[in-house]
Amino acid sequence: MNPSASTPLVASLLDAPPPASGIAWLDEARRENRAAFAAGGLPGARVEAWKYTALRGLAQRRFAAGDAAAATRDVDAAAFALPGVDGPRLVFVNGVFRADLSTAAALPDGLSLQPLSQALRDDAEPLRFALSRAALVGHVREGGDAFVQVNAASATDGVVLRVAAHARIAAPVQLVFVGAAADAELAWHARNLVELGEGASLELVEHHVGSGEQAQLVTLVGDFVLHEGAQLHHVVLQNAATTTNLIRRSGLRLHARAQMQLHVLELGGALVRHDLQAELVGDGAQLHTRGAFMPHGRQHVDTQLAIRHQALDTTSTSTWRGVASDRARGVFRGAIVVAPGADGSDANLNNKNLLLSPGAEIDTKPELEIYADEVQAAHGATVGQLDERSLFYLRSRGIPLAEARALLTAAFCRAVLDDLPSGALREHLSALLIAQLPA
Amino acid sequence: MNEIMNNQSSTAAVLRDNAQVAEVLGRSYSAGFVTQIEMTGLPPGLDEGTIRALSAVKREPEWMTEWRLEAYRHWLTMPKPDWAKLNIDPIDYQAISYYAAPKKQPKSLDEVDPALLETYEKLGVPLHERAALAGVAVDAVFDSVSVGTTFRKQLADAGVLFCSMSEAIREYPEIVQKYLGSVVPTGDNFFAALNSAVFSDGSFVFIPRGVRCPMELSTYFRINAQNTGQFERTLIVAEEGAHVSYLEGCTAPKRDENQLHAAVVELVALEGAQIKYSTVQNWYPGDENGVGGIYNFVTKRGDCRGDDSKICWTQVETGSAITWKYPSVVLRGDRSVGEFYSVALTHHFQQADTGTKMIHLGKDTKSKIVSKGISAGKSSNSYRGLVKMEKGAERARNYTQCDSLLIGKQCGAHTFPYMEVKNPTAIVEHEATTSKISDEQMFYCRSRGIGEEDAVSMIVDGFCKQVFRELPMEFAVEAKKLLEVSLEGAVG
Repeated sequence: MNPSASTPLVASLLDAPPPASGIAWLDEARRENRAAFAAGGLPGARVEAWKYTALRGLAQRRFAAGDAAAATRDVDAAAFALPGVDGPRLVFVNGVFRADLSTAAALPDGLSLQPLSQALRDDAEPLRFALSRAALVGHVREGGDAFVQVNAASATDGVVLRVAAHARIAAPVQLVFVGAAADAELAWHARNLVELGEGASLELVEHHVGSGEQAQLVTLVGDFVLHEGAQLHHVVLQNAATTTNLIRRSGLRLHARAQMQLHVLELGGALVRHDLQAELVGDGAQLHTRGAFMPHGRQHVDTQLAIRHQALDTTSTSTWRGVASDRARGVFRGAIVVAPGADGSDANLNNKNLLLSPGAEIDTKPELEIYADEVQAAHGATVGQLDERSLFYLRSRGIPLAEARALLTAAFCRAVLDDLPSGALREHLSALLIAQLPA
Repeated sequence: MNEIMNNQSSTAAVLRDNAQVAEVLGRSYSAGFVTQIEMTGLPPGLDEGTIRALSAVKREPEWMTEWRLEAYRHWLTMPKPDWAKLNIDPIDYQAISYYAAPKKQPKSLDEVDPALLETYEKLGVPLHERAALAGVAVDAVFDSVSVGTTFRKQLADAGVLFCSMSEAIREYPEIVQKYLGSVVPTGDNFFAALNSAVFSDGSFVFIPRGVRCPMELSTYFRINAQNTGQFERTLIVAEEGAHVSYLEGCTAPKRDENQLHAAVVELVALEGAQIKYSTVQNWYPGDENGVGGIYNFVTKRGDCRGDDSKICWTQVETGSAITWKYPSVVLRGDRSVGEFYSVALTHHFQQADTGTKMIHLGKDTKSKIVSKGISAGKSSNSYRGLVKMEKGAERARNYTQCDSLLIGKQCGAHTFPYMEVKNPTAIVEHEATTSKISDEQMFYCRSRGIGEEDAVSMIVDGFCKQVFRELPMEFAVEAKKLLEVSLEGAVG
């Protein structure tokens, strides 16, 4: 048995019995994942994928399972209002769906949007394939994906979103995950399934907000499947409470000529980890990821990107920016794999980072694994400071040093928002980003 | 009757063809011959008795024997590393003979067995003093022992100590004791621990304060005997303000079984000292079906201990079935400089996982990494590197460039760079690209009447130029030839 299996965190996560759904196959899957987690425990520092994110501190904490009062907690709806995002909305408070805060009554044609709890009650069978395993897309690494197992064992709610073939959904859909103040330190989980039919298109905003002094542990597992020619614009605004430990895993599968654009802004949280595994399985699929992480205080933000090119003429571009200040730590891994036979693949990844304080740290690891020869693959990574000459230029034009720094840092990060299609949202996100920058 | 005649002539034709094939094969690994010479050694097997016997054969002092035993006991507790992107068949450490040496131990170069001299002659290594024209001092290591070191007198006049490790342990024990294991501790990693326990010979270089070594120093390693492993240990110490350039070459005969080569190289540069260490590694790579070849598991590390010191690693890796090697520099002194230039070529079933580590501790330290990987056939070639800026590395600077070239559809080229930065005034930059030789480049060359193989070798040569420029001239020429030979049959 793994020595980490006996930590207070693991014990507390195994304290409560797994939730019973009354659906035999689902309860079976939950039991299996629970047993796997109990046997494997948390990944130690020797597990390569967790090399730079030590779970020692987290492992010593205990979290209570779920929030019994989630349905009645007071939540300020203004906290998740976003300009330009006025379509259907599903809101989850401490992992529980809140119909009173959501607006999903009149859905456009071709869009099916339901909380997972509801979908399971209505007709569980279509979800069987996806929920019988810990994660639908990408492989679950042995020992490394303990939180995926926890999620599969414990998540009772989340989002089931389907877009019918050739449906073009104009209004952006918003998914809100609220971590609300509670009396105890809570653990809660959500499981999302998103599927776009052939030629469908959708704009989707995933929004994390939170408040409260109490620490939380949140796991979120999402699967995104884009069928032939589908298009998805996905924006993730992570503004969780500074006491929240947020562990997310996204699996993306892109079929032929599918296109996905992802914009991620990591602002909040205490320990934040995002594993993104993408598979470009259809010829001509395209994935474009952009993201910025700005850890400050004692935040720890870890982004793990793994993109697999498995078909002909697939394209991926990734642009990620990190700014670490105070005693914070930013971690980035960007792995690109071009599988044998994936000729015509074009992969490009860059990660630039600013390190602003003596107590801060950046660890970055771009990787290339290439098994085909008709390939263009490149990556770049830098860690450094603002360009002295640019600072000098601004100062020579009468801009004070502090302001010049703020201006350049903002410009450095904003690059990741440049190709965000919605103007109003872009402006809002960039204002949030600037507000977050160290003074 | 006629039929028989026909048969005979066709047999002759086959024989002629075979001879041609053999000739081509011979060209592809010209160092693959075996020297017939009377050998002595220890039987295969490894335990404390083997280590004591080895130490006794080499007439080592007590402290050295203890040092080895301590390393051996530590080694027994260590797991074999499995993180590299390599498929390694299990190694039976009890099947290896840890000591093999020519029976006749010469007292000076004049007494060296003519068969040995001929071996080095064939390999193009000038062992005899008459090779003074070459201007390179050579220490030749044959299996487990050094068979001779040239130019010792001239070097001694300059104050430079250059001899085999065995001699150094006997003649300069205080220097050896001070520095041995100070850069690569005995328990550093699995193969370094094994080497510390059983190392047989290697080169020792000591450049005293303020001395510029009057000529290039070189060691030529040759594995000859069957079922042996070569475990050499090299130690180079450059005192304050000293300069030295050191070259290393290696070959082995063609054999069907894999042989283990686990070396440790330690470099120490004190204040203002400069060490340039160049390697052309041409161990037998195995045949085109991946049979045989050397396992090259090497720990090389330099310590820029003094301010303003500099260590530069240059390597051209074309041989070995498997290469596991990360020449590193610890930049301890302020303003010290570390450089790493590498060309790694893999063909057929070769596997290479190689790169460097630059650990910045001192202020204003600088490092530069240029790595060129070429994969052909069914080979796998990985760059794995670490750049670490520790808290005290004020204004430290690193630049890394890793390029991979793919020749063929079944090979792999991988890049795994790690960057860890803890100082807000440090700057780290990394760039990597992977591509194949473009059709445009090939077309351009072909349209000017350049044959396909020549065109490939020309393009590869250009791809590697940045690294070859850093090699001493004779080595650069040899390295270029090696690349051409190693790529033979890679296209078409």
